[in-house]
Amino acid sequence: MPVINVTVNGTRFEETVPERLLLVDFLREQLALTGTHVGCTYEGVCGACTIHLDGEAVKSCLMLAVQADGHEITTIEGLGGDKLGALQQAFTDNHSLQCGFCTPGILMNMSDFLRNNPNPSDDEIRHGLVGNLCRCTGYVHIVRAVREAARVMRDKA
Amino acid sequence: MASNPQDWLGARLPRKEDQRLVTGAGKYLADMVVPGMLHAVFVRSEYAHARIKSIDASEALALTGVVAVYTGAAIKDLIKPMPQAVVQPNLPARYPTFWPLAIDKVKFHGEPVALVVARDKYTAVDAAELVVVDYEELTPVLDPELALLADSPLVHEEDGGNDIFSMTLTGGETEEAQRQNAAEVEAIFQNADVVVKERFRVHRTGITPMEPRGVLCEWNDGDGLTAHITTQRPHIDRLALIDILDIPGEKVRVIAPRDQGGGFGVKAPFYRENIMIAHAARTLKKPVRWVESRYESLMNVGQERDQINYLEVAASKEGKLLAIRNRGIADNGVGTTGVYWGFVMPFLGAVEMPNAYTWGKGDISLKVATTNKASLTPSRAFGHFPTRFAVERAVDMVARRIGMEPSALRRMNLVPSLPYTSVTNEYYDSGDFLKVWDNLLAQVDLPKFRAEQLAARAQGKYLGIGFGCGVELSGVASELLVPMENQPGYGAATVRLDPRGKVLVFGGDAPGGQGHETTAAQVVASQFGISPSDVVVTTGDTGITPFGAGSIGARNGSYFVSAVANACGELKDKITRIMAHDFQIEASVQHFEFKDGEVVYIGDRSKKKSFREAVERIIMWPVNMPDGEVGGLDATTFFEAAKPMICFNADCCIVEVDIDSGDFKIKRWVTSEDVGTLINPNIVDGQMHGAIVQGLSNAMFEEFIYDERGQQMSADFEHYKLATAADVPDIEITYATTPCPHTPLGTRGIGEGRPSSVPGALTNAVCDALTPFGIEITELPLRPNLVWRKLQEARK
Amino acid sequence: MFPARIQEYVRPRTVAEALAAVARYDAGEAIFLAGGQSAMQAIKSRMLRPQCIVDLQGVAELKGVSRDNGALTIGAMTRYVDIARDEQLTGAFAALRDATSHVGDRQVRNRGTIGGSVCWNYVAACTPTTVLALGGSMNLLAADGARRSVAADEFFLGPLETARRDDEILLSVSWPAPVARSGSAYKKWGLVTDALPVIGVAVRVSLDAGGACSAARIALAGLADGAQRAPLGEARLIGSKGDEAAIVAAMAAIADAAETHADMSADAEYRKQLIRTIGRDVGLRAFARARA
Repeated sequence: MPVINVTVNGTRFEETVPERLLLVDFLREQLALTGTHVGCTYEGVCGACTIHLDGEAVKSCLMLAVQADGHEITTIEGLGGDKLGALQQAFTDNHSLQCGFCTPGILMNMSDFLRNNPNPSDDEIRHGLVGNLCRCTGYVHIVRAVREAARVMRDKA
Repeated sequence: MASNPQDWLGARLPRKEDQRLVTGAGKYLADMVVPGMLHAVFVRSEYAHARIKSIDASEALALTGVVAVYTGAAIKDLIKPMPQAVVQPNLPARYPTFWPLAIDKVKFHGEPVALVVARDKYTAVDAAELVVVDYEELTPVLDPELALLADSPLVHEEDGGNDIFSMTLTGGETEEAQRQNAAEVEAIFQNADVVVKERFRVHRTGITPMEPRGVLCEWNDGDGLTAHITTQRPHIDRLALIDILDIPGEKVRVIAPRDQGGGFGVKAPFYRENIMIAHAARTLKKPVRWVESRYESLMNVGQERDQINYLEVAASKEGKLLAIRNRGIADNGVGTTGVYWGFVMPFLGAVEMPNAYTWGKGDISLKVATTNKASLTPSRAFGHFPTRFAVERAVDMVARRIGMEPSALRRMNLVPSLPYTSVTNEYYDSGDFLKVWDNLLAQVDLPKFRAEQLAARAQGKYLGIGFGCGVELSGVASELLVPMENQPGYGAATVRLDPRGKVLVFGGDAPGGQGHETTAAQVVASQFGISPSDVVVTTGDTGITPFGAGSIGARNGSYFVSAVANACGELKDKITRIMAHDFQIEASVQHFEFKDGEVVYIGDRSKKKSFREAVERIIMWPVNMPDGEVGGLDATTFFEAAKPMICFNADCCIVEVDIDSGDFKIKRWVTSEDVGTLINPNIVDGQMHGAIVQGLSNAMFEEFIYDERGQQMSADFEHYKLATAADVPDIEITYATTPCPHTPLGTRGIGEGRPSSVPGALTNAVCDALTPFGIEITELPLRPNLVWRKLQEARK
Repeated sequence: MFPARIQEYVRPRTVAEALAAVARYDAGEAIFLAGGQSAMQAIKSRMLRPQCIVDLQGVAELKGVSRDNGALTIGAMTRYVDIARDEQLTGAFAALRDATSHVGDRQVRNRGTIGGSVCWNYVAACTPTTVLALGGSMNLLAADGARRSVAADEFFLGPLETARRDDEILLSVSWPAPVARSGSAYKKWGLVTDALPVIGVAVRVSLDAGGACSAARIALAGLADGAQRAPLGEARLIGSKGDEAAIVAAMAAIADAAETHADMSADAEYRKQLIRTIGRDVGLRAFARARA
């Protein structure tokens, strides 16, 4: 069985994994990082499994754990560090989550999105969110929070 | 820190749930791991209708890591079949007998046939593939109208017919009274200036949540069964497990996980999978967990709406609505789902059909047909998404016939003063519909829009405006819930103070994102003059919470928080009684102020204690007490409103239609809401946004499709498409509230029925845009393809 | 839900290693894994049950965009996001940005590759259709070292079927330098934003010195036979000035003749209408880019 070396949220792991183990299952079950969620079967459409692979948002359900060997992964547990990051704070302030199931995936995606789009329009934010389905919020407060976080991050920079 | 106790009511407090949810520390069912836990996977039917000739699990059992395979034949004598009274409505219907696994026959594509239990979930899926089921395919029954014909094959042979439920909702209890009423309605139609008669059809769609279902059962012979279930109604599930598995009540505990990824009604029924996982845990004496895949979810739950409504509306040429007559046909699917059996949804949909209008008279009847599809399961706007669509469209069609503004016609016919009883005998307790409507109209400059619309038309641009409204349940009173679901509607809350002045609240319902931990905390904080951060709300555990029928029908804002407020009131009574005694004054609760963490005697403000002191004295040092008074501060109260309650909302949307492609874009969506007293406006806004987008997504994109063999073609998100953020507009929510006179805080339960007015408003806007072409759309889904086809037909 | 058992995972560093790994298995038992945005769906649903996964993420020679006097070569492992961001892809190559910037969603674009998409050739996909319209060549290398370049017209054979043999790897997609005054565009319609195309239209045109269309390639996504050319429309465009009437007539000819089907997304007549409306928009944009 392959052995992989992967850094997750800043910590190095050396783990034995079956070839077919999905990356999302590796994170959730082998590393007990259950903040990343599974919301669809094989289609990889819902985005609840979104993480950062070397800093870029990808869907962890469409990768095998073995593919992560040698890479750096950030999950929702590693997003803010000790304090809430700007996005997480903005989501809390703007009531941008209800059931919270899609939220980690959205935060991870938007974190990468804002890095690439520091001053996005609402349309750009909505387009950036296409890969994350949310059932509860209707997206309105999410867009508001991303806009606010972008401003906070620009002001800090 | 608020200085006025009322400040917590109406405060846009960030939610207490969010800290854990934005950091990935939520705990959902699939996150729960127990040592020695086994993993379960269901083998499901590949056919819509077939006889099971044999099941061979030998290869599956031979796979290393596989612990057990259960089939229907094996469990038939070990598990009681449905129906069971606790999950059976008090409504006359054909209730098919069924076990949690198919016995002899499968009746829909995706029905559970066998259960595989293995040491890891990948192996369980491998093993499920190896279970060989030999089927003899039978002709499926797929059309509800054909299913009701005498010569139709039967879905449930022993039932004797596919008409699982039928009822006349108007005219009274007796056949004689109903016949009399029908004749009177017919007379109105004969004499009316305007009659609109249409067939409205709404497709099969629903509000599947982002988190699929799951069950984790633990068993030991001493404690019995602990079942963690993604459920909106743990107390009901517990009773069902007791009865079906014949386990003594003291040995069954059901816990809904603290975090659930949405319910929307989909997690309200009592499901077959619950029984099988509990049975597996009991027989294997090991924890067993099943986590539903999206594929299973889309094939088994979340399918709702799916109604044909032959609707007639009679009106005067002045725009007065005179009568409504409807023949509803609902496609129930197999109906083998506890609590609802599919048909309860269209039943309520027929009851709610009159909406906010004064009809004069109504003749509304419903027939529900069993077919070889997944059973209908509840979805937000429970049962009335199709009936509301039909009525809102018909009202617009009347307006167009007369040449009247649809918003004006609506206003003329809105129930002018409440309370009011509809033609289906639904009681609307309170509210001011006209105030809500006028507030909506104040958000839109209608004459200006009409001018813009005309100018745009000259440029070949087609703008349209559409209106809709909805009377929605605010909780479900026992007088409705007992007949409908054989359950009580009261709200129940335990409020328990601790010696440090902190408060624990317990409720038996089980939310999935509505923010009950926060709203209940705000209510308690407002009552006691403390901070919401001092309050911890626990829900969903039958071992420690008072009985609750569940998170259904907007019970939180209506029933649960009312029980919370009343429990706080009881405790405030006791606290102030004992304080008065301690201060040797004659005073009762109205002479005290609970504010800023203190309890202050208004007559002499030097007589005060901190909330903590007041509480600690009663719990820890109950000496020198008033006569007959004992220590402790814990109250459990049950709230039942005198009559069923409602809330009311109205929508207006503006669209632009491209007549070359039929594509349409929503330019604006604005609403007007009567939600009673607001506890947390952020949460209420969020509920409205979410409900409206769900309504749009159902109306435009989501469709469950069965092919001519009953094969489900929409079991993944590539095919069953949910709206993304780029597909829906921003939404403006405005309020025109009337406090509810029947709840202690004036709050109303909100959000459950909210999606129902959306498809009507949207379709009205599209048809309004296409007025020059005379297009009337009477079916959903509303898609560019349909719009374009209608335009082609109109041009011929 | 979860993949069937996989025997071996290989991460080669060179194409030679990659080909050697595949060669150790019977045909079809070992598959190349590029971005995985399509293949992993098939592996998870068990439509594909590979014994061996040959992950190409480490093969440097498959990455990158190179230019040589206007000729363009895009490595097979080049991601959608990198193509979408490449501002040098203008004129004749602009459609590549149109297509790749709207595939799936941004998470998909961070992983999916042009090579993976082209070799998968899903029945309704943006990238194969665009590559077909742009007339690219697929550069293949076989295990025995043999190289060949297959023109797009010969490469895409039908849904999920290409001319690539199991023992070949796609190295890159390439184009010769386009003639001056060339332009291309792509647009699609799906039920929700950026969904797989119900209909997608890609157009590439070149103009002569007088502004008349001297060459035209049109490809459609969304028909039951997969990505395909539309010669009827191309012929109509040649000689025209690319005015709206000419474009509309060309697209109408395509639409009228197209064998469209009905499915849950759209009926057959509406697909034809989409060819007309999308085709018009795309045609106008391609010509505008050619003139720019």
